[in-house]
Amino acid sequence: MIRTLQEVLERVIARFYTQITTYLPPLIVAVAILVVAFLFAKFCQWLLTRLFKGAGFDRFLRETGISSVVDDSGHLHAVSIAASCVFWLVFAGGVLSALSVFDTKLTTQFVETAVFLFPKVVTAGAIVLAGIWLGRYFGRAILVWAHNEAIPHARRIAAGVRALVVCIAIVAASDTLGFAPNVFLAAFIIVVGGAALAASLAVGLGGRQTVQRFMEEDTRHATEPEEPLWRHL
Amino acid sequence: MAKIVIPDSAHAALNELRTADIVVGIPSYNNARTIGHVVQAAHAGLLKYFPQFTAVIVNSDGGSSDGTRDVVLSASMQDARLLMLSTPVKPVNRLSVPYHGIPGKGSAFRLIFQIASNLGAKACAVVDSDLRSITPEWIDLLLRPVVHAEYDFVAPYYHRHKYDGTITNSIVYPLTRALYGHRLRQPIGGDFGVSQRLLRRYLERDDWETDVARYGIDIWMTTVAVAEGFRVCQSFLGAKLHDAKDPGSDLSAMLQQVVGSVFTLMQEYEPAWSLISGSQDIDLFGFRYDVGLDPIEVNLERMLVNFRRGCEELKEVWQLALSPETLEQIDLLAAATASPATFHIEDELWVRLIFEFACAHHKRRLDRGTLLRSLTPLYIGRVASFVIETRDLTAPEVDQRVENLCLTFEALKPRLVAQWKGSAGQAPRTAPEAAIPQHVAAQKELEV
Ligand SMILES: Nc1nc2c(ncn2[C@@H]2O[C@H](COP(=O)(O)OP(=O)(O)OP(=O)(O)O)[C@@H](O)[C@H]2O)c(=O)[nH]1
Ligand SMILES: [Mg+2]
Repeated sequence: MIRTLQEVLERVIARFYTQITTYLPPLIVAVAILVVAFLFAKFCQWLLTRLFKGAGFDRFLRETGISSVVDDSGHLHAVSIAASCVFWLVFAGGVLSALSVFDTKLTTQFVETAVFLFPKVVTAGAIVLAGIWLGRYFGRAILVWAHNEAIPHARRIAAGVRALVVCIAIVAASDTLGFAPNVFLAAFIIVVGGAALAASLAVGLGGRQTVQRFMEEDTRHATEPEEPLWRHL
Repeated sequence: MAKIVIPDSAHAALNELRTADIVVGIPSYNNARTIGHVVQAAHAGLLKYFPQFTAVIVNSDGGSSDGTRDVVLSASMQDARLLMLSTPVKPVNRLSVPYHGIPGKGSAFRLIFQIASNLGAKACAVVDSDLRSITPEWIDLLLRPVVHAEYDFVAPYYHRHKYDGTITNSIVYPLTRALYGHRLRQPIGGDFGVSQRLLRRYLERDDWETDVARYGIDIWMTTVAVAEGFRVCQSFLGAKLHDAKDPGSDLSAMLQQVVGSVFTLMQEYEPAWSLISGSQDIDLFGFRYDVGLDPIEVNLERMLVNFRRGCEELKEVWQLALSPETLEQIDLLAAATASPATFHIEDELWVRLIFEFACAHHKRRLDRGTLLRSLTPLYIGRVASFVIETRDLTAPEVDQRVENLCLTFEALKPRLVAQWKGSAGQAPRTAPEAAIPQHVAAQKELEV
């Protein structure tokens, strides 16, 4: 009895030993890589902040309106954001190399996927950002136009346009990711279709009166001879 | 040189004419009702005052569908009624030409200038086709300084109703005066005399296909003339009575074209304006007299509603152009629309607002068209304020108000220069407000 127990214990210890000897060195290497990567990433971040400080980069972004994409208040510090992006990029590279040290099937696959996906993620991110910028751009233009044309609910219309453009950008982005684009497309169609359906139901059912009143008001406005504010500029 | 814009149909006529000393241009777009009178006045003016010159009247039409061009060619002259001192030696020819390209007043002018240049004209005058108060003397007044006194640019000077020409009075006159230092009272009057030298300069410029092709043309002509040091003067023409604006016409589009042209030219002529301070009088020809004017109706209530709606809806756009202080004051004003009797947009706030728009345009804080169109409700608010303020005032008193606004523009100009050149989005807080001349301050006290 004791013998068998001893045998089992010995086997366990032996297995543990082989496991330690196969996995500990890579683990140490991986940790070392992580630490180096972290330090290097920090260094890059520091260097970038240093180099671009006062280079007028923030001003450039603010004046071109690019910074308003991310932050409307205009207090965005593009340099620090770019610097932290670089930090995370370098550090993520470190994590991937650390993983690849283990050289198991799982980690290799993970690393491969990450490397393969990276450009797509960047593209998708760019598409979404561009969508936000375009949404803002068109939203503002529509807002001012609707105001000058005395169209009611100008702000809501503008917000709708903005949301629509961003939605389209998200669908496009998910498409580049190959990330269940159908789901997004379906969601998109459902949202737009749903809105249309809701609107028509509103006209057909409960909202009928409201809408009718709204329309009447509108036509009343339209039939009133639209006199100019004043006749000469 | 500019791309050729003279249509083939006009070439035969031009070949026949070969040369002309004087060209009078009349742009038109569905002005059959009024253009006959304008053509007759121009024709009579040429016969009476320039009998020894070969002259051509050129109507540049934007595709009218009401027979404008027929009226131009058929409007008859009752020569006998013109008290001619000397028998005209040369006949006056008439030409009516459709132009192609961007539809607008500026494109019409371009064709006129092109024809005048091709004919080698020494002087060219342009007059609006909706004028009811034009007389033959106008032709003399617009052309004589060019023909006989070597001026390059003759701007009009007329009496207008206090509510007529509000873009001129609230933005264009004070701003151009403060910028370029010339007191040109009607920079966008629409009736001008131009020398051959300046005509060539206009034609060689490459910005014809911008807002200049539309209503930007008037301020563009004036600005190029004053900023490039051409000799400018004004002629007193009496009253300007013209057709009411088509109610369907788009105020914000017109504002965008005019103000956009001022702002765009500010960029080009920065070296010319940034060093100027104060302003000087411009020679004024003609005999001044007082006139009666058509009353102009305004719908004050709707103006105030429009202004308040703008404040509610467009803040997110203004935020990108205006400083927080200015925005704050606008907010207060939106609330003040509740009591129309006391609603008032102060000169100083208005000037700051225009300067901030100019800088936002310069720095492209946002799309320029959107920026300019978002000015409309603010402008309407300012007009409403002006109407309330001047309701019971006589013409000279109103002129004094405009003069005060101009002085404020001039006094705050250092602020514009700093903002324009400065990197910071905001105006320096060390307000040159203190520099507002004493007499303006005194005037303000009197008003209270
Ligand atoms: N050919 C042509 N002429 C135009 C066009 N728009 C305006 N015009 C002419 O330009 C002149 C002035 O136009 P108005 O619309 O009266 O403008 P304005 O008198 O400067 O402006 P208000 O003071 O607001 O009346 C008129 O003779 C018009 O016929 C256009 O699109 N094509
Ligand atoms: Mg007119």
